[in-house]
Amino acid sequence: MNSPIVGKAVPQVTALEKIQGRAIYTGDLKQPGMLHAKVLRGPYPHARIVRIDTSQAVALPGVKAVVTGADTPTRLWGVAHKQQRILATGKVRFAGEEVAAVAAISEDIARDALDLIEIEYEELPALLDPARALEAEAPQVHDGHDNRVKEIRIARGDVEAGFAAADLVHEATYELHSQYPGYMEPMATLASVDGNGRLTVWTSTQSVFLARARLAEALDRPVSSIRVIQAMVGGGFGGKIVEERSSLIAAFLATRVNRPVRLVNNRLEDFQSGCFSVPCRLWLKMGMTKDGTITAKDVRILANSGAYAGLAPEVMLVTAMRSDNMHRLENVRSAADLVYTNTMPRGAFRGFGGTQMAFALNSHLSVMADKLGLDPFEVHRRNAIRAGETSVHGWQFGSTGLRECLDQVQAGIGWEAKRRRPKDTGVRQRGLGMAAAMHVSGNRTLGNWDGSTVVLRVNEDGRAFIASGESDMGQGANTMMAQICADELGIPLSHVTVLPPDTDTSPFALGSLASRVTINGGKAVLQAAQQAKTQILDAASGLLGCPADDLEIDQGVVRSRTKSNATAALPQVCRYHVFRHGGEGILVRATYDPPTKMMDADHYGNIAPGYSFAAQAVEVEVDTETGQVTLLNSCLADDCGKAINPMAVHGQTNGAAVQAIGWALYEHLQFEDGRLANGNFADYTMPTADSVPHLQASIVESNEPNGPLGAKGASETAILPGAPAIANAIEDAIGVRITELPITPEKILAGLRAKREGGHA
Amino acid sequence: MSKHVINVTVNGEAHAVEVPAKRLLADFLRDDLLLTGTKRGCETGTCGACSVLIDGEVVKSCLNLAVQADGRSVTTVEGLGQGTNLHPLQTSFMEQGGLQCGYCTPGFLMAAHDLLSRNPSPSEEEIREGLSGNLCRCTGYQGIVDSVKNAAEKMHGR
Repeated sequence: MNSPIVGKAVPQVTALEKIQGRAIYTGDLKQPGMLHAKVLRGPYPHARIVRIDTSQAVALPGVKAVVTGADTPTRLWGVAHKQQRILATGKVRFAGEEVAAVAAISEDIARDALDLIEIEYEELPALLDPARALEAEAPQVHDGHDNRVKEIRIARGDVEAGFAAADLVHEATYELHSQYPGYMEPMATLASVDGNGRLTVWTSTQSVFLARARLAEALDRPVSSIRVIQAMVGGGFGGKIVEERSSLIAAFLATRVNRPVRLVNNRLEDFQSGCFSVPCRLWLKMGMTKDGTITAKDVRILANSGAYAGLAPEVMLVTAMRSDNMHRLENVRSAADLVYTNTMPRGAFRGFGGTQMAFALNSHLSVMADKLGLDPFEVHRRNAIRAGETSVHGWQFGSTGLRECLDQVQAGIGWEAKRRRPKDTGVRQRGLGMAAAMHVSGNRTLGNWDGSTVVLRVNEDGRAFIASGESDMGQGANTMMAQICADELGIPLSHVTVLPPDTDTSPFALGSLASRVTINGGKAVLQAAQQAKTQILDAASGLLGCPADDLEIDQGVVRSRTKSNATAALPQVCRYHVFRHGGEGILVRATYDPPTKMMDADHYGNIAPGYSFAAQAVEVEVDTETGQVTLLNSCLADDCGKAINPMAVHGQTNGAAVQAIGWALYEHLQFEDGRLANGNFADYTMPTADSVPHLQASIVESNEPNGPLGAKGASETAILPGAPAIANAIEDAIGVRITELPITPEKILAGLRAKREGGHA
Repeated sequence: MSKHVINVTVNGEAHAVEVPAKRLLADFLRDDLLLTGTKRGCETGTCGACSVLIDGEVVKSCLNLAVQADGRSVTTVEGLGQGTNLHPLQTSFMEQGGLQCGYCTPGFLMAAHDLLSRNPSPSEEEIREGLSGNLCRCTGYQGIVDSVKNAAEKMHGR
């Protein structure tokens, strides 16, 4: 195919409105009569709600509604575990849980009204430490239910035989902490009930259809009585999928006042109601032969779900088994337990559990390579799975760019030369580290289907409109779809409009999660565009008197390949189609449901149509007097199959790299008696432009057979290798192995002290 | 709550309006003048999404009261360039991957404008330093740094 647009670094199709300040996010929306909502949160990690008195708040002039848990529908909502109401009833299970909400004529009045709500609590013993959750005397987070959310046991091959065959067995325990997604747009929702009783919700979401399902469940009303429209989304990173709660409160208030209600979180509120990644303690034991072949892997995980289950069970499953698939492993065993605690709910976040295991695995491989005198790149290469192979958990690989990713970053960082230079001996010491990882592109386990449907219309002026329920949250999904469509139809990119997801008009879709939109949504666009092209060429065949297979579309003109004078501009052809088909324009629908398998009860099965790989090499400098770690260089290669838009892929790669740097070095949720103590950007320190180096991002195009034009996901894999690459580089620099994140100066200095005192390095 | 009449020029247009003393400049711009390009991201002056220019110098409009802009000239992203009359920073941000979700973009544009007015040809290090008062979670900053460098080159014909 002639590809003037696919593969080009074109600006996002949303770029023009964004750089003019004219992109409309949910918090920018206003409606006549609109009220402002604010939410009151419980101050205790675990407490019984004894009494609530809202009378003073109700009496405050300008207040239109005050609601508490008792007012909310009794139907419980949740992902797999149905266990939440829109506002807490009976007790609060984490500090910050929503207990009451106010709608008023201004935000100030709504906030003042919160202060007038009197709530009497009886504090209960709180379970804050996940390690205590399974003890017999531990407080129960959910009455009548032990604190175990989920237990996963997977064993394949013969792990003990694998260890017996190893020349080196290494075990270590890792502590992986929770990360706040940190999207720049705090969660916002505008909800309105019309005169017929239908509820319309504009919200910042990664999935309008999953938002609608959640609203229907929590509000206990029919799905079709709700319309969800996606406004421009200011980042999501997993936090705006199915665990998000504030949209439910806004919508519930709207049903109580019959006026539009807008609920916009400030940053503290967004920290309190946000979705954080799943922290865990991870014990890992691996065996390796002298040549670097991995003979066995054994892992035990204790993960903290917080007060509710949400997606955390699925996240922990990923931690327990996903990384096994990137190597040719035969003997693996995982025992993973997810527990409730009286802390904020945890769940989906970019990487979806992959970051936790990627840190442990790559830390482990680096240590073992050192002990065996091997290069960690060689260890990865020796074990890397190849295209055409099936992994230990039944995953089938149509494309793998792992080895090419390793090659690119090894060369890019100057690994060979820098590894040979003499070790620094001064105050500041440099070191090199690397890591590699994999991620899914799509995931059938979401409901034993993973398909995507696109409705494509070509208007009588020859311009195309794509209706898809998949979501652009800033990553560039709309641009990807528009590029594929424009190329296939032979029209300029500016002649393609991607409509905002709207549950009343878009085809059903799961949305932006599991790195599924390019491979599945993009494939659906390609198929729809091919169908539309067939209709256009058939119409042109009648118009021009040429066989359709002699025609092509180039730059908006249909022309014969053999007769130079047989041409027709696309608008002419599209109008002709309308006249010849009783007024029906060009309108097609295509669904792509990838040829994957639901995993079986033992978690075996090829769940994704493609798998993406990434490798990263970094150079750090450690100040041995202050403990400060500075990243000097970073090279990150992403195997995205085919870069539909290299600029967008680089953006994903670089953004992921910096999010990983934040998780490794800077971001650290602090709790005092179960309360979040640093829910603001001054104290929860995300990386700034001057805290990261010039980033090198490179692309591997492994050409995925299932993907559209060879493409697969490019949004999550790149976050996986950063933190372990940094930890490995720190050990290379100063001989201190950090196994507990984040890597703070205090831990560096403690490690150096222990090393000096002759303890372990 | 006392109210004050302020005379403020916003994007070249003069306004004489009465505002409550505690009205934040960010809220005045967004809610009173409906200039929603200026974003709220943290309310504590750390994210920079609400950055605007007052008399050409970048400030965080969530840390300023509307009354502090009395007698002064405010430029928001809407005043930087519109339609076919875009500022080189705006076109560079589009072309060089300076944005993804776009929420931080207006603030970065204003901070970059301030930087280039003080230092027309900044090094990469100076750009990173100059933009360190703004947060972005999507781009890893590389696209933004590249955009500012590119805009500086365009503006100074290099």
